[in-house]
Amino acid sequence: MTAEAFRAPGERMPIGPLGVIGLLGAAVATALLWGQNATSFGVVTADRFGLFVTVVLVVVGVLSLAISGPVVAREELPAGEYYALMLFSLAGMMLMATASDLLVIFLALEVLSLAVYVLTGIRRDSASGAEGAFKYFLLGAFASAFLLYGIAFAYGVTGSTRLDRIGAVMAEQATAPSSLHLLAVGLLLVGFAFKVSAVPFHMWTPDAYEAAPPSVTGFMSTGVKAAAFAAFARVFLEAFEPLSSQWTPLVWAIAAATMVVGTVVGVTQTNLKRMLAYSSIAHGGYLLVALVAINDIGRGAALFYLLVYAFSNLGAFGIISVLESRDAPADRVDDYAGLWHERPGLALLMIVFLLSLGGFPPFGGFVAKWYVFSAAIRAGYVWLAVLGVLTSVVSVVFYLRIIVMMTMVPAQPGRQRPPTPVIAGAALVAACAATVYLGLLPARVLEWAAASIHMIL
Amino acid sequence: MSFPILSSIVALPIVGALGLFLVRDDEAHRPLVRSVALVVSLLVFAETLLLWNRFDNAEAGFQFAERYGWIPTFGISYAVGVDGISVLLVVLTALLTPLALLSAWESVQRKTRAFCMLVLLLESAIIGVFVSTDLFLFYVFWDAMLIPMYFLIGIWGYDNRIYAAVKFLLYTMAGSVLMLLAIVSLAWLHQTLNGEYSFDLARLLELEIDPSTQLWLFLAFALAFAIKVPLFPFHTWLPDAHVQAPTAGSVILAGVLLKMGTYGLVRFAFPLFPDAAILCAPYLAVLAVIGIVYGALVAMVQPDLKKLVAYSSVSHLGFVVLGIAAMNTQGVQGAVYQMLSHGISTGGLFLIVGMLSDRRHTRLISEFGGLKAVMPRLVAAFLVVTLASIGLPGLNGFVGEFLILLGAFARHPWLTVVAATAMVLSATYMLWMFQRVNYGRVTNEKNAELPDLTRREGLVLAPVLALCVLMGVVPGIFLRSLDASVEQMLEQVRSRAAASAKLSDGARPAAGAPGAPRF
Repeated sequence: MTAEAFRAPGERMPIGPLGVIGLLGAAVATALLWGQNATSFGVVTADRFGLFVTVVLVVVGVLSLAISGPVVAREELPAGEYYALMLFSLAGMMLMATASDLLVIFLALEVLSLAVYVLTGIRRDSASGAEGAFKYFLLGAFASAFLLYGIAFAYGVTGSTRLDRIGAVMAEQATAPSSLHLLAVGLLLVGFAFKVSAVPFHMWTPDAYEAAPPSVTGFMSTGVKAAAFAAFARVFLEAFEPLSSQWTPLVWAIAAATMVVGTVVGVTQTNLKRMLAYSSIAHGGYLLVALVAINDIGRGAALFYLLVYAFSNLGAFGIISVLESRDAPADRVDDYAGLWHERPGLALLMIVFLLSLGGFPPFGGFVAKWYVFSAAIRAGYVWLAVLGVLTSVVSVVFYLRIIVMMTMVPAQPGRQRPPTPVIAGAALVAACAATVYLGLLPARVLEWAAASIHMIL
Repeated sequence: MSFPILSSIVALPIVGALGLFLVRDDEAHRPLVRSVALVVSLLVFAETLLLWNRFDNAEAGFQFAERYGWIPTFGISYAVGVDGISVLLVVLTALLTPLALLSAWESVQRKTRAFCMLVLLLESAIIGVFVSTDLFLFYVFWDAMLIPMYFLIGIWGYDNRIYAAVKFLLYTMAGSVLMLLAIVSLAWLHQTLNGEYSFDLARLLELEIDPSTQLWLFLAFALAFAIKVPLFPFHTWLPDAHVQAPTAGSVILAGVLLKMGTYGLVRFAFPLFPDAAILCAPYLAVLAVIGIVYGALVAMVQPDLKKLVAYSSVSHLGFVVLGIAAMNTQGVQGAVYQMLSHGISTGGLFLIVGMLSDRRHTRLISEFGGLKAVMPRLVAAFLVVTLASIGLPGLNGFVGEFLILLGAFARHPWLTVVAATAMVLSATYMLWMFQRVNYGRVTNEKNAELPDLTRREGLVLAPVLALCVLMGVVPGIFLRSLDASVEQMLEQVRSRAAASAKLSDGARPAAGAPGAPRF
């Protein structure tokens, strides 16, 4: 009775369009499950929170598949494996978003991570690809170990891996938690922080993002983040909520460090993919701000943010995917010089995506940031909000640098821009339209996100 | 329901800009693109004249108000309206936009379509700022305005344009994000006290906020506005932006963009946080006077015409802030009037400097000299605008500055004396510049054959000159639109400050902040 069940056909069919059909099936299943709070075997819960994240993941999946076309063709990647891996990891993500048992969360995480490790290194002939994938794999394995260790401790002190039972036990212990309880919370925190690439556990992110083909990077930076964040929120806002006074200072510090490091280091990057990697770290920080607020507004803000971020970030990576060619990678900022004169349409789309990521009205990113910081101020974290808006000004520096390159610097002579495939182009236009829609008329989606904050365990 | 005139004024330029997508962007269609943009902006101007014509001067509140739910969950609505303070600023914006487009008729030869679209989008956003009566909507326009201006400076500007564009955007944004947080805090405060969210200005004006919270919120708002004005010491972005921007950009930047800052002080910062405003006004006045003197002194030594005009703006805008900080009828009226008249005269100065630089491709004062003999008509226009900028009685600049000094003298006599002295400085640098550019013999033979005003340029300058004289001779027709609203705004500040004074005397705990900072 979960969305995953409907997704099964797509996984076995190693062709992109079928995957899209499978994902649309998942979307339909999500719509049918809406508001029913169905559960399977007590370990998977189709509550609204999980379903909203599933919808985000469907968006991520469809856009990723659409922008993968040119990359797969150009790099001569094994299409069957590529699409199958992407769909496998999507299935893992959806499971993770709806899992309500620590062990299922772990299983889902491994399903998605293993597929993504392989995707990162799918350019087998590229040394940097192998290096990035290897780093990602090693550090990811560490993170998994932390997570598993945390699960073991949680089981040890509560006697269950079910989130609802853990929550009940934790609530009893809330006034005087033992060090074992705190150890379980701490280990799980480290594990999740790795997966959402929060500082100081972000080291793998730039390398992995740079190594992977741009379509995979876009997929990772939105999909993995959304799924990991959903599980993070579910575990900490529900099961460990009674202990929130213990873990909020930690998450506060992680959120602050993530925003600062993500933006400040991002400014110094000259490689576009690394720059966007740091930008995605910073965006993870904003999501953590929403988590720290532990109020209903924060939950709604996180969901809305995930959706907007999926459109804008995948859009930006989509542009990179379209512009790269085998002999001329378009991953340095200089490669974008004069794009506006050569390909005004693509440049315009890129400007919209970047301004949205930078949080400018009238684009979705502005509304998302406003929502997150509202939650923080509501919860009394004024300084965190101040830090958040100031780092978002810093982040504008590097988004602007790309825009400056595209519009204000003359093109390098002799550069060939590959033609834009129709499907990828359509996906980018759709993502752009969604970004603008979410900025201009966000009321309906905001209400929907606000109505989706309810989690059941 | 009557015709939504304000929304149509805001929307028309956007529609025009999108409509330009239909026209091909090539050599052959360039005149068509320009004409369409010009016609659209003239239509907007005609609409704003109609608006002013139908505007009821006796009514102090917002007129032509419209309100539609936008994000109802959070009490955000699309709400617009004009009162006496904003109506003329809207007209000014709509007047300067076609002039800016005309000024770029020949000088902008590449990417003309994008240029025209951005100018129109900019017009929409600026008018949006002036007519919003919902704080969220106001912020959206306030921030959205940065993007077209950024591109105008960065793409069509002079040599150092990228640096100037990025600096402009980052400076302004750094100030405004804190204002966003303050706006959010206000909405939460409203929710805490009244049980529902609201970003509606009228309802937020009814909040009773305790003075220490007010101070923080006021500082956040004031910082955003001070950077925009720009008030000393936040002015450093302005000379760069002005000098590097294309003429059309400078005209709009100096003409209306800077006024958004002073407008924000009058409309939002002072009425919303009266106690903090009363507390901070003397400091604002001191900064304003420093800006007046500093701007004038720096302007005096500039070798570059545009930079000179830019620093003169710092000085003139200092007067506006001084008038607002006086918080009395003459001061605030003078401030609003000075905003309008500075828009006309400095806009005119930038147009003329642009014409000179189109002819000579330099703006250095030392490159010119003796232009009076070569281009008598242009120099005549130049003279009128220069005198207007100095504040010669009978021209527009005098009225505003006189009222401001009158108002400020009642509040801060010594500061006013210093400010008045700076008017002498302003006469010095402007006239000295004028003399070096226009009088004497033609020393540089490149200047000998320069053509005088073309018909297009004459068309651009005619309304500017006419308004300089009109606003100087019969200020009443403009001032009477301001009267009622300025009185009401001051009354709001006074009565709310008095109310909270009574409140704290009664030792009743005032409403607290939504939450103290927590670490």
